[in-house]
Amino acid sequence: MDLTSLNNSLRLITPEIILSIFLVIVVVVDLILKSNKKVIPYLAVLGFAVTGIVVISSLDSSGFAFITASTSSKQFGMFAHDPLGGFFKLLILSVSIFIVLFTITSSEIKQIHLRSGEFYALMYGMVLGMMVLVSAVDLILIYVALELLSLSSYVLAGFTKLRDRNSEAALKYMIYGVVSSGLMLFGISIVYGLTGTTNLYLINSLLQGPQINILTLLFAVLLIMAGVGFKISAVPFHFWTPDVYEGAPITITAYLSVASKAAGFALLIRVIQIGFVSFVGSDGFWNLIPVFDWKALLVLLSVLTMTLGNLSALWQNNLKRMLAYSSIAHAGYLILALATLSTQGVVAVLIYFIFYALMNLGAFYIVMIIADRTGSEDIDDYDGLGYTSSFLGVSLIILLVSLVGLPPTAGFIGKLYLFIAVLDAEMYVVAVIAVLNTVVSLYYYLRVLKHMYLTKASDSTQSVRASGGEKIILLLLVVPTLLFGIYFQPIVDFTKSCITVLGV
Amino acid sequence: MLTEFGKIFVFILLAVAFVGIAIFAAKLIRPHRPTQEKLTTYECGENPEGTPWVQFNIRFYVVALIFLIFDVEVVLLFPWALTYQDYGLYGFLAGIIFLVVLGIGMAYEWQKGDLEWARPKPNIPYLSNLIKKNTDQTSENIIVEQTETNQTT
Repeated sequence: MDLTSLNNSLRLITPEIILSIFLVIVVVVDLILKSNKKVIPYLAVLGFAVTGIVVISSLDSSGFAFITASTSSKQFGMFAHDPLGGFFKLLILSVSIFIVLFTITSSEIKQIHLRSGEFYALMYGMVLGMMVLVSAVDLILIYVALELLSLSSYVLAGFTKLRDRNSEAALKYMIYGVVSSGLMLFGISIVYGLTGTTNLYLINSLLQGPQINILTLLFAVLLIMAGVGFKISAVPFHFWTPDVYEGAPITITAYLSVASKAAGFALLIRVIQIGFVSFVGSDGFWNLIPVFDWKALLVLLSVLTMTLGNLSALWQNNLKRMLAYSSIAHAGYLILALATLSTQGVVAVLIYFIFYALMNLGAFYIVMIIADRTGSEDIDDYDGLGYTSSFLGVSLIILLVSLVGLPPTAGFIGKLYLFIAVLDAEMYVVAVIAVLNTVVSLYYYLRVLKHMYLTKASDSTQSVRASGGEKIILLLLVVPTLLFGIYFQPIVDFTKSCITVLGV
Repeated sequence: MLTEFGKIFVFILLAVAFVGIAIFAAKLIRPHRPTQEKLTTYECGENPEGTPWVQFNIRFYVVALIFLIFDVEVVLLFPWALTYQDYGLYGFLAGIIFLVVLGIGMAYEWQKGDLEWARPKPNIPYLSNLIKKNTDQTSENIIVEQTETNQTT
């Protein structure tokens, strides 16, 4: 690799470099400040914001970094800088900013304020892993980024060490994660054995050749799906989700449920679209190379995921655990949109992700505020809360209604685009299953509202007052949820400009 | 005709057979005169004390990690040292940044006190004593006893 091409590569990964610099700064500042570490979260926000600005400024450019493979006419790198990656990077960075704001007000994190330097450094590690993951087009780089993401999140899941559940969550997360990433590595090695390359673009051109053993490839793809499925918590790789979400600090739970899921979906979109699509038709539908039936696999996963997620959520009494199952169900809807294997499907995934991030973060934040004051996440302890603390009550109504997908909230628009994409692909049966699932989800979301408004406050109900800062953060999530339910055109236009994948 | 994996299989068979035959041949030839000294566990030339079933100090692990990082660093610096002059200042800076980041890692370890090696009086736990003590005392005392042992080892 000569110096000019290295220079070009470094220019394309500027956001990642800035993020790494801020990671080092956070560690150094943590070393210099002995006891008063209040400045570190603000420094973390600054780092994410600067990186975000750099990502925005380079959103419409594209190119390969670290050229490692080439065919007779084209050169391919390990790292693709393109609008799809840019979209997911922006999403991940904005979610990270919100999570840092959450931690500033979280009492769980306040109790460990002496170790908060490590907390934010690990968060930076996670973000770095995710940002590389959404742009990686080489199986080795994908694996390395996935490990960076996973290792940081294992530690964060058990970081506060305040309760036994905390350590349980970290241990369970790690054991499941290590097994699934091991399976994924095995799958990658089989793909390498079949094709002799780890670059997705070259794999695509080799799969179009005649001499691929379909059965072996099927095995390899299923193994790789184990790794991806673990990240997006798709059934049957979801077992860790409820326990980890319940045990981890709420801020990290919210983070895992949105950001690392987004990274997993970006990876899935990239692997399918670059590795297994021969050409994109003029009507927006992808023509698969006839070696592996992605459509069947994704439809199967999606139906299993949303049905199991919704049915299990019905029985939960812990709100955090219920939201964990609901996030599994939402992953099911998202996989369904992807299963259409069309450009409309990807647009629907991106739109849904923006809205899902808003409403899920908001819901987790309210759970956090209430748990900070009352020390409980049980739905029974929400009795009459709508009257004693009306601001939180109304916000939670809006967010939960949005999670169900009812108008006039953003969740409705997300589901609308999703179902349009599914019906466009003429997948009527699954569409009906998805609608039935939404009806099921109505019950458990509204059960919370029933406890808050239709049950009399018992003597044990405490009044919960949100502080001014908390109200502002919450409004930043709730107001867009309402606003985008009515005026959503800019979001749709923005996502449509962001679906270009480099070299497809 | 052997496939590529077939050759590997032959290698595995040969490796297993080689080890087995070597051990068996040695057993036939060597003299067999065990003494007390020969049968003790080798412990860096010192007389072994106590049972090896003790909790290790976590610091051994931390030191091993630090060693590993700097060990790998050297491996990565060798190729850099051979070629950095071809790339002028740019190549030089690349190596320096790498070293600075590692240096910050070292400073981090230092500042967080992982290099402090406080040496309390060694309290060598003998397994048989521990069991005897624990069965004599109430369960409350056992916990105190164990935490004391953990702190001092």
